[in-house]
This record gives sequence, structure tokens and C-alpha cells, in this order.
Amino acid sequence: MVQPNSRGFAAGTREPLLRVDDLHVEFDTPRGTVEAVGGISFEVDPDQTVAVVGESGSGKSVTALAILRLLEGGWISGGQVHWDGQDLVTADATAMRRVRGDDIAMIFQDPMTSLDPLYPIGNQIVEAIRLHRRISRRAARERAIELLEQVGIPDPRARVRSYPHQLSGGQRQRVMIAIALACSPRLLIADEPTTALDVTIEAQVLELIRELQREYHTALLLVTHDMGVVAEMADWVVVFYAGQVVEQGPAARVLGAPRHPYTEALLSAVPTPATDKALPLTVIDGAVPGLADMPPGCRFRARCAHAWQRCTDEPPLFELGEGRQSRCWLREGSEMDGAPVLPAADLSPAAGREVS
Amino acid sequence: MTEYVVRRLLYGVLIVGLVTVFVFLVLRLIPGDVVRLQLANAPGVGEAQIDELTAALGLDQPLHAQLVTFLGDALHGDFGTSFQSQEPVTSLVAERLPITLQLGAMAILIGILAGVPLGLLSAVRHNSWLDQGMRLVSVAGISIPNFWLGLLLVTYLALYFGWSPPLVYQGPGQDLESNLLHMILPALALGASTMASIARMLRSSLLEVLHSNFIRAVRAKGAPETLVIFKHGVRNSVVPVFTLLGLQIGNILGGTVILESIFGIPGMGMLIFEAVQMRDYPVVLGCVVVYGAVFVLINLVVDLLYGVIDPRIRYARR
Repeated sequence: MVQPNSRGFAAGTREPLLRVDDLHVEFDTPRGTVEAVGGISFEVDPDQTVAVVGESGSGKSVTALAILRLLEGGWISGGQVHWDGQDLVTADATAMRRVRGDDIAMIFQDPMTSLDPLYPIGNQIVEAIRLHRRISRRAARERAIELLEQVGIPDPRARVRSYPHQLSGGQRQRVMIAIALACSPRLLIADEPTTALDVTIEAQVLELIRELQREYHTALLLVTHDMGVVAEMADWVVVFYAGQVVEQGPAARVLGAPRHPYTEALLSAVPTPATDKALPLTVIDGAVPGLADMPPGCRFRARCAHAWQRCTDEPPLFELGEGRQSRCWLREGSEMDGAPVLPAADLSPAAGREVS
Repeated sequence: MTEYVVRRLLYGVLIVGLVTVFVFLVLRLIPGDVVRLQLANAPGVGEAQIDELTAALGLDQPLHAQLVTFLGDALHGDFGTSFQSQEPVTSLVAERLPITLQLGAMAILIGILAGVPLGLLSAVRHNSWLDQGMRLVSVAGISIPNFWLGLLLVTYLALYFGWSPPLVYQGPGQDLESNLLHMILPALALGASTMASIARMLRSSLLEVLHSNFIRAVRAKGAPETLVIFKHGVRNSVVPVFTLLGLQIGNILGGTVILESIFGIPGMGMLIFEAVQMRDYPVVLGCVVVYGAVFVLINLVVDLLYGVIDPRIRYARR
């Protein structure tokens, strides 16, 4: 079944692998129910790498967890997650279990606590295989050794018997990757997979993910707050702010010429070797508004240098062509026609402000 | 590992020794005199006879001399003879110990068999009516004194069902059914608080584990809930339960003293109860040593089990 791609970009008529449609997630807090994710939509195509970026608390991890229905304390209050002709939001527990680990695998932020401390890593990889494949324990073990070798664990035949506490953080994340790839998933969700790791290890792990992604023909949904990682890995970028998508589009275009003040600000907050060390680091003033007292209108308004009276109304997502979207009133009227938008130079002084 | 066990055993001997000395001294603070208690009803007993008997029992010696004699003999495995029955303390204890161990084991078994499923259900059905009910029951189980529960059980069973435990104690070899019927009520009374503590501890421990990152990672693999809970959840939450169980042994051993007396079970508990009443010092001390040793040994086993459950626990040389 081939449906026309609504955005009509890139491969044109290819059916997306995953389609998240108007996803809402709510949490109970002592101050009442809050909406952590307020109507998110995006797609992931086969073999594609989609990066979800945003500050802490923007709802990017919650979205990643919601796709596999692994939320704790929160629940999906609306929307659909289309996968393989079914809606994962309404799928029953059995169907969900079949998808998890087999079709869609996930690796997590903290490799130090993501493995069961009481079982050897081999056992945990074998478990992942045998949950979805009817093969003997012995064959699964051979496969586990092979996987350990692929993720770059030295001496895998001996290492299968190691316990998690005998491995470093980087090695544990490699084991998590081995577990994730155990059943050759079509989509790998990586929730800030390198946040807890050293910078040198980070590069190795990202490289490994990219390599294996190619080898296993796996699409990647990469949750990160690091614009450098996005530039390195992503084909498509979805920028989150306060539980909404504020901008999305092809990675090169979004990073090269952002169409939302928040994206612009995020990019200018990345220090480069050229950054003058005598000046304070560029930051975005203020913080993400609390979910319980979200202001009406544009959610970025209070921190945005371009804010004007229009911003008290909530901006819709404007379609900018090629599937690009921006949730900013400044883009009104530039929809679909690829009309010239404000030159980037107009935005730059406001993007990041210095604090002393 | 061997070194660890040896070191722990030596500490254990020291602990039991200190407890024995403490009890030795405390016993002498209890008013009442074994000789006068024994001769109380004998007609025409004079001071001369009392002095004679006191000397025969060695009670005329200064306290520290008595203590030294006692400890010296004890180290050679001689705990003296009962003032009362004139039997050697070791053979008295050897005769009674299995009975108490059986009662204690039954109590622990009841505690585990009822406490583990309760705690498990409570954690899995967190905040359900079942969980609320379990929490209520476990507060009651911990708060109700075991002897009172024992009395309550006997009274109500007799009152409403006309059933009461056998009057004469039979060993499990003589009449197993009668033996078990005799033991079941005191074992229930003793096991109630163990059950309640296990259920509470397992509940909170398992709840914490079920919210940890690796459990989410196991779910992300597509594992069914039974695998999540039993393979990964329970095993990660039993260590505190084991610690608790080791400490509960103390409560259970203490509880046997009064419950055996209530139910007429001729175990160590009854022995020490009668011995204290009659100021039969050697018997009391012999029992204390055994109670102490059982407690120390069981807790050593518990500590060694940690290492079996959790590969991160290693027994350091120092």
C-alpha cells in the first residue's frame, strides 16, 4: 500500500515507517494534570535518521517512550502512532510486546542502570533474542557472542559471562546496542544514548550506531539535546519546545537556515573553536515555562527577541515546502510557495543574548 | 570466602560468650534463691541444710569465681547439671532443641509462604484495594503480640468450632498428625509478624525495583510481565527481605519461650521458662548459649546467601 506523502519531499510517495500523529501525553503532578506533550506529529522513513532536539523538559524523551508505551506515571491522552498498519496507542499488550524489541528497539540514556545487575550480559542478550526468535539456547548464545563482537566488545567469548558491574559505561552502552539489534529491528529509538558518556566514548558510540544502522537497514529516531550530534547524524530534524514541535525539516536545511527563532537560538548557543573565550557563553535567557502554567499564545514568546503582539495568539505550524514546518508567526504567508523568508541575518542578533 | 566464614564464626563465638556473661550476671539480679525455692515446701529444713546445699551447688563462691568456673567448663562443652532435675544441661537441651527448631521452622515457613505472595501482589497491584487491605493486615500482624494472637486462636477455635489442639505433646515420629495439629497454632501465632514484615518489605523493595531503569529496558525488549516481575523484579528485591528474615529469627526464637509454655510444647522455650522460674541457672545459661548460636549461625547463612543472589557482593578479606 502506497500512500502519497503529504509533505511530498525526498522520496516522494514512500510510505513512512513510523507516523506519529497529533500525540498528546499527560502526567499527574501534585499540582494537577499537566500536558507534557501537546500534539506532536512527525514521520520516520525506512533507513532514515530523524533527530528530535530540544531542551530538558521539552517532551522529547516522553515522546520516545510513548511510542513504545513505556511511560511511567504518564499516559497517552490523544493521537495515534501508526506502525505497520496498526495504531500502537490502542494496540493490546500482546501486540505491543511483539513490536517491542523485535520491530522497534530502544536504547536508553543511562547505560549504568539499564542492565539488570544480577545477570551476565550474555544472558540478557540471549533473553532479547529468545523473546522473539524460536532458536535454541546454544544458538542464541552464539548469536550473542557475534553481536558482542559487532558492537566492539573485545574477547566476546569470555565477556558473555561478565556481569554489568564489570564493564565500563561505554561498554555497557555497547551491550545495550547489542541487545537492541538482537532481532534486527526496523526502527531503533535512541534516547540520548551518549549523554552519560565521556566525549571520546560518545563519538565512538555514535559511530558504532551509524555503522550498524547501515548494516542492519534500521531507521533511527535519535533523541538528543546536542546540535553537534544532530549535524553529525541526522537526515531530518524535529525541534521540540515545551511539548510542541516548533520546527522540522531536512537536517542540512534546518541547521543551515533555521526558520524558527528557537532553533536559531539553539544553534548559536553551541560554542565552536572560533567562539571568543573572553566573552560569556551564549545562552537562551529564561527557562522552559512550567507545564502547569503554560502561557497562552506562542510558548517561546517570553524568551524570544522577535516577540510582537501577534505572538499572544497561539501560532499554528506553517508549512514551508519540502515538508518543512515552523511554528512562528513570522512565517505566516510564506507557506508552501517556497517564498523567500526573512533572511537569516535578520534573526541572528536576537537569537542568543549574552548574560553577564 | 573461607577466611570470611572463619572470621564470622569467631565473632559469633565472641558474641555468644558476651551474651552468656551478661545473662549470667542479670540472672543473679533476680530476687529469689534457688536453694530456698527448692526447699520451700520441705518440712523442718534448717539454715544448716540450706548452707550445705548452697555449698554443694557452688553458690557460696564469690560471683566472679563462679563465672570463671562456668566459662571454663562451658569451653570444654560442660554446661553443668540442672539444679532441678540433676540431668546434664547438654542432654536436656539436646532433647528439647529439635522441638523448638521444628516450631521455628514452621513459623518461618508460614511467614514466607504467606508473606511473599502477599508482598508480590501488593506491589504488582500497587494502590489497589488488595494492596490497601494487605497494608492494613500487615500493620496488624506486626503490632499484635504473638502470645495474644496465640491465646486468641485457641480461644476462638475452641469457642466457635469446638476444636482445640491435642493436650499431650507427641513427637513427629510418634504421631505426626497430632504433632502438627499441636504445632500449627503456635506456629501461626509466631509466623504472623514474620509474614507481615516480609510482605511489607517485599512490597516496598519490589516497587522500587519495578521503577528502575533496567526494568524499563527489559520491557523494551518485549518481555511479558511475568518475566519482568519474576526473573528481574523479585530477584533484585530479595536482599532486604533476607536481611529482615535473619533478624526475624530473633523474634521467633524469643516468641517460642512464651508460646511453648502456653501450648504445652516441651521445647527449649518451655525449658528456659521453667528454669528461670526455678532459678535453675545452668539450664538458663545452656539455653541462652544455644539460642544465641542459632541466631548467629542463621544470620551468617543469610549473609552468605547475599553473595549467591547478587554477583556484586564479594566477601572482602578485611
